[in-house]
Amino acid sequence: MIIRIEPESEVPLYLQISNQIIEGIAREHIQPGQSLPSVRTFAADLGINMHTVNKSYHHLEQKGIIRIVPKSGAIISSPQDFNEASLERLKNDYRPLIAESLVVGMSNQQIQELVTSMIEEFKSSKEETQ
Amino acid sequence: MTLTIFFFISLIIAGIQTAIPFLVNRSVIFGVTIPEKHLQNETLLAYKKNYAKLVGLLSIILLAGYALWSLIQTATEEQIVIGGILLEFVIILFSFSLYFYYHGKTLKLKADKQWTGNLKQIRVADLSARSRDEMLPWQVFLLPIIITVGVIGYTLLKYDLLPQQIPTHWGPNGQPDAFTEKTLMSSILMPLTLFVMQLMFLGIHLGTKKSGIKLSGESTEASRQRQLALRKYSSWLMFFVSFLITVLLSFFQLQIIHPDIISATAMFAIPLGFLVIILVSTIVFAVRVGRSDKFTIETTEEKLTDSDDTHWKGGLFYFNKNDPSIFVEKRFGVGWTINFANPIGYLIIFVPLIAILVFSFL
Repeated sequence: MIIRIEPESEVPLYLQISNQIIEGIAREHIQPGQSLPSVRTFAADLGINMHTVNKSYHHLEQKGIIRIVPKSGAIISSPQDFNEASLERLKNDYRPLIAESLVVGMSNQQIQELVTSMIEEFKSSKEETQ
Repeated sequence: MTLTIFFFISLIIAGIQTAIPFLVNRSVIFGVTIPEKHLQNETLLAYKKNYAKLVGLLSIILLAGYALWSLIQTATEEQIVIGGILLEFVIILFSFSLYFYYHGKTLKLKADKQWTGNLKQIRVADLSARSRDEMLPWQVFLLPIIITVGVIGYTLLKYDLLPQQIPTHWGPNGQPDAFTEKTLMSSILMPLTLFVMQLMFLGIHLGTKKSGIKLSGESTEASRQRQLALRKYSSWLMFFVSFLITVLLSFFQLQIIHPDIISATAMFAIPLGFLVIILVSTIVFAVRVGRSDKFTIETTEEKLTDSDDTHWKGGLFYFNKNDPSIFVEKRFGVGWTINFANPIGYLIIFVPLIAILVFSFL
């Protein structure tokens, strides 16, 4: 799986990495149970500070997306690893985004369509890789 | 004999210096990253050709002059050596001055044509690249080290057999021509030096393995091929060289202990054969790596660039204190250069050299 980051973007680097890894899992470019590269190699490949990659891994660990196992590194969690708490946290994350969508004047239907089209996009790229 | 050796080494240096613009990373021209779609720009192609023509032409004149001078003048051995070293330096200096000249011109061209005006800077990593990394396992580098330790042990065991004068230098005919007093240190100086060199090779290997696989955003596939080829072949070459040096120096050491083990002809032929094999494998390495990314590839339509120019001082020296990589691929030339902002690189290169110097003065 290819990771592309933009050093000059307004989105912090660690967030760019986390988001792309999450998308990669959604698109099944990386499967649950597989491990991510070590912090050092990942940082060396991108030519960025190890702290940035470390921060990204901790961010993913907080969300429960990966488990950091001593010696074996960062392992992608499987869907069974998530629980009520994860759903609760996601609801809280959706909240401001949906509110913002309503504020800028998106209709209920537009929001629904946006969500559906994004899910479709992730699924279609899933089929491409199979 | 000396003339032939110097002539061929200079010839190979000249050949590689001339071909460099065509062997380097395809998207880096004279140390400047150029967006994929401008790589075929005529001015750039002309720069590369002119560089190769000038270096090639000067090299031919110098090489011919050198050969004629030493043959007609019947120069002494020493003069041939000094002339040969001068010749190599002049070729290298000339090609580097030309490099800087064209580096400046390429930078200016890139700025004038605004090739990076509205391009997005990106960095790329492939999470699965490591699984295709074919570098040798580090343990194989222990093999020559074990041989060397064995040779040191054997020397100490047979200490009484060693002559009172230990050879320290061999002439071109394979016979020793400089000696030193026999002491415990001087008797194992050669294998000890070898041992330190092998540790350095091991350090370089580990450092390279831990360094990043840097991909280009525009030609991800071509750059991955090149990075993997460079990693694989440089680890092969380094192991091969380490192994050959071990064999050569171990033979020399055994010859000191048992003077009759190798015939005079072999003492003359082995180092020469060694030199030829090293030169040939270096050329094979440079060509293999140089050609690994020269196939035509699909270009991305996106407006991307991965110009890392800010970290490359003069297009030659890599300074990036954030990057944990110890070694990175050279921009001008085939092979590796150190990340000058990472102190571990200095340790791997300089500590062994200092250790060797200290040993020889003890």
